[in-house]
Amino acid sequence: MDCGTALGKINAKADGHLPREEEAALAGHLAGCSACAAEDAAISAAGPVLRALTGIRAMEKAPALDAMWTRVRAGIEESRETRRRSAWIARWAWIPAIAALAVLALLFYPAGTDRSPFHPSSFDVAVENVESDVATVALVDKGEDLPRVIWIIEDAKS
Amino acid sequence: MPRVEPRGRAGAPALSFFLLLLLLAAVPSEAADTVAVDVGAVYASNEGTSIDPALGTIREKLQSMFNYSSYRMLDRKRRSLSVGETGEFELPDRRTLQATPLPARGNKVRLSIRISEGPRNLLTTTLGLRRGGMVLVGGPSHKAGVLILLISAE
Repeated sequence: MDCGTALGKINAKADGHLPREEEAALAGHLAGCSACAAEDAAISAAGPVLRALTGIRAMEKAPALDAMWTRVRAGIEESRETRRRSAWIARWAWIPAIAALAVLALLFYPAGTDRSPFHPSSFDVAVENVESDVATVALVDKGEDLPRVIWIIEDAKS
Repeated sequence: MPRVEPRGRAGAPALSFFLLLLLLAAVPSEAADTVAVDVGAVYASNEGTSIDPALGTIREKLQSMFNYSSYRMLDRKRRSLSVGETGEFELPDRRTLQATPLPARGNKVRLSIRISEGPRNLLTTTLGLRRGGMVLVGGPSHKAGVLILLISAE
């Protein structure tokens, strides 16, 4: 095995990709080549150093990550609350609409005899013409405060 | 997992609003060219001394104008009529009253009134009154007394 091939296998071993059956051949080359053995030692030591460095970075970033997660969680809660509120409005908003319908129906529905008593605002009436085929008709006017009366005197019965 | 929105409930206010619009469209608007004609049929007699509270403020007027001891509201009907439209009001003893609003200016209302008893024309008249005003038509016999019609227009 030459040094170039050994260097590729050293890297593969550091990545965990070196097949077991090739480990013995690599070990044999390392035993006889000090340069490759030094390279293998350096690369093998780099893994723990990198892991330690990543851990330190993560610890440094932890407060910022916590703050970001807090913001994300608050956003999720706010979204849930908005959805709950709109669902509540959708559930109950028809009640005032139905109440308005009921009031309008009560106000405008044409009723029969059970409406409010008569409260006329005026008795000022002009009678333009009066006629009857079978009765005598009299106009009775007893003053401004009293209603004008058209009195039908049925000839056959009166 | 996607959340299913309750669309059925969300549609209820929209449906109610639509119904409200329908009701408003269906309600006969008493605009200037529409007259609400109100006809009350009162039985006046000397049988008893009861005065129907449904007569409201008009009962004192009736008592001061006529010599009957009892006044009872038999029926009351209200129709919203356009100018030129004839509304028919059934009266006791197979009599009918037909009212037709005629063109009028301002706050005035003109009504053509026809009261008939079968084929007989008891009364044909044209009245001019203010909106909210009232006129009485009396005399047709009923049981032991007479009918007095309270005709008002708004």
